[in-house]
Amino acid sequence: MLETINRSGTTTRGDRTRNAALAALCVAIVAIAVGYGAAFGKSGTPVWAPWLLAIGIPISLGAIMILGATRGQNGIGPLKLPFLFVVGVLAIGFCAALALPATESPLSKLWLGLPARAAVVIYGIGLLPIVVLPVAYALTFETQTLSAEDVERVRAMGRENRERGLLAKDASDREPSA
Amino acid sequence: MGLRTPMALLQVALPSAAQPAVVAVGVLYFGVVVAISVWAARRTRTASDFFVAGKGIGLIALTVASVSVSVSGFAFIGGPGFIYAVGLGAMYIVLPAAVTNVMGAWVLAKRMRLLGEARNLITIPDAIGARYRSPAAQGLAAVAMLVGIVGYMATNALAMGVVINSIFGVGLGWGIWIGMGVTLAYSASGGILAGIYNDVFQGTLMAVASVLVFLFVLSYGGGLGEISRTILAHDPTFLGPWGKLTPLAALSFFFVFSMGSLGQPQAVHKYYMLRDPLQLKWYPLLKTLGLVLVLLLYFSVGVGVKAFVLDGRLAPLASPDQATPSLLLHVTPIILAALVFSGVAAATMSAANSFINIGAAIVTHDLPIAFGRRVRNELGWGRAITVLIAIAAAITAQRSGTMVAFLGIFGWGLFASTLVPALAVGLNWQGATRAGAIASMATGLVVTLALETAAYRKAFTFPAGVTASAVAMVASFLVFFLVSWVTRRAAPLQLDPDVQLVMEL
Repeated sequence: MLETINRSGTTTRGDRTRNAALAALCVAIVAIAVGYGAAFGKSGTPVWAPWLLAIGIPISLGAIMILGATRGQNGIGPLKLPFLFVVGVLAIGFCAALALPATESPLSKLWLGLPARAAVVIYGIGLLPIVVLPVAYALTFETQTLSAEDVERVRAMGRENRERGLLAKDASDREPSA
Repeated sequence: MGLRTPMALLQVALPSAAQPAVVAVGVLYFGVVVAISVWAARRTRTASDFFVAGKGIGLIALTVASVSVSVSGFAFIGGPGFIYAVGLGAMYIVLPAAVTNVMGAWVLAKRMRLLGEARNLITIPDAIGARYRSPAAQGLAAVAMLVGIVGYMATNALAMGVVINSIFGVGLGWGIWIGMGVTLAYSASGGILAGIYNDVFQGTLMAVASVLVFLFVLSYGGGLGEISRTILAHDPTFLGPWGKLTPLAALSFFFVFSMGSLGQPQAVHKYYMLRDPLQLKWYPLLKTLGLVLVLLLYFSVGVGVKAFVLDGRLAPLASPDQATPSLLLHVTPIILAALVFSGVAAATMSAANSFINIGAAIVTHDLPIAFGRRVRNELGWGRAITVLIAIAAAITAQRSGTMVAFLGIFGWGLFASTLVPALAVGLNWQGATRAGAIASMATGLVVTLALETAAYRKAFTFPAGVTASAVAMVASFLVFFLVSWVTRRAAPLQLDPDVQLVMEL
């Protein structure tokens, strides 16, 4: 349904990655919408509604990151693993919090000072992605995000834009007297 | 429990902290702010200096400044109170920080910084106008942002008044005018350059205060394990994965504060300012680590005060919002209290400065462009509009009472629902169309205003766990996809070659 534009008419790996990410984002947003919509029912929020958000949120975040990280005609290269890891950590964390029984008591075993389900949320969802994503971003920056050549290409285009702008301004300044 | 929107929790009544040490640190804090402002004013000569610091800010300064504007007074006062009230469910507001900075870097930072390079852009509506080759889209984005800024500014002005009154005991009205006056002085004279370097100072102060309070709470409570044991003995639900919220409510917070972060102008606008685009490499890691430090107070005070009240070491709180003030004024050394109170003032002032600057850019730059005009002296008009916005915000905060709380409620959600699809998806999907962007922004604006107004007037009650912000953002996304698909033939015609190059890199 949603496709990227490729003026050469061929479909590259980058196009396929973007299309997959867009489709995933779209489906995830629909799932989240259904989850919210269900909460408006007369009998209150059904048990399955939070599960749609628990799955939809990680997928939507992963999809929009993949959409942003896809570069030119290439896909996301070595970033596949970090993205998969983080989407997995978030989804597993949310689902574990929903699925695990409530056993918190003064006798609960503590994990780094917190009961198990709280530890999953605070350390899993809140801290694990920090160890992976920003580091992956930095380590792949030149190859996957931005190189000095990229910046120079854009700067050259900027110079052309400014020269064209000056030429257009000169032409419009001359027009009334012509 | 129904959701109480976090921005509303900024409107707390703080107890008086006007003790000599607190006043002295407060005076010192304001002295440093004034000194930085005088220095920055001498370096502000053009509109680009005023609105985007001449695109010349280094990595560390930009990172600390960005942390500073991303955290409002809520993280120091309302947030810990929210944890105290609902338990770990309140953490879903800040947990997204683990992914939002790097997500913003991948989705927006590179493309916006490069667009700034190619087109000399200075505002977020500029980027939307360039992406869709549409002054109308730029104008609509500007209007939506202006509506959100009105709310944020009034809320921050009131929060400033509350904090300054607490530190100096000058009364709420004077607190508002003193806070806004100082912020205005450096916003109007030094523009965003003064804002950035004040943010660096303020962000550092906030991080130091947060780490010290975190360490103090752990030490006073005998470690996180002991604190947890105390809470589990009295109120085990508090340390459940959702606290006392429903799962839908907690997840809803996570969605709005993660995806919605891509539309927050105070953070996104900063991408234009980095001196060298290649410095973006370490930006997400440094900013995330900075945010973790600043948010340590949020978690530790909320959980710690709960345990201290339960084991009788602190008197029961009059209201959850008193968690931080109560701990600071009754338990911690007074110098730590002084640092945190100055940190709260710093948080509100840095947010206010950022929004004043963005609002002035909208009025002097984006709205004229939307109507096919350019303001000749953007720097002069920028300074004049800055003064007007600050005065209007102070008057609104002082006079409007509960209306300010209402205005503050929808700020974050309005930015998220109007900007995220058109900006964040639009800059990465060449199939997005002008019609899709305009329809999506209009949907976000109308749905947010309609639902928030209906809820405020009690004409409508949301089911537990559902917020206007979340519904509006989802609706905005769906409309964006649908209208872009229906008008997909127009997409290639709405993309300039330089914008396409930036989107493909």
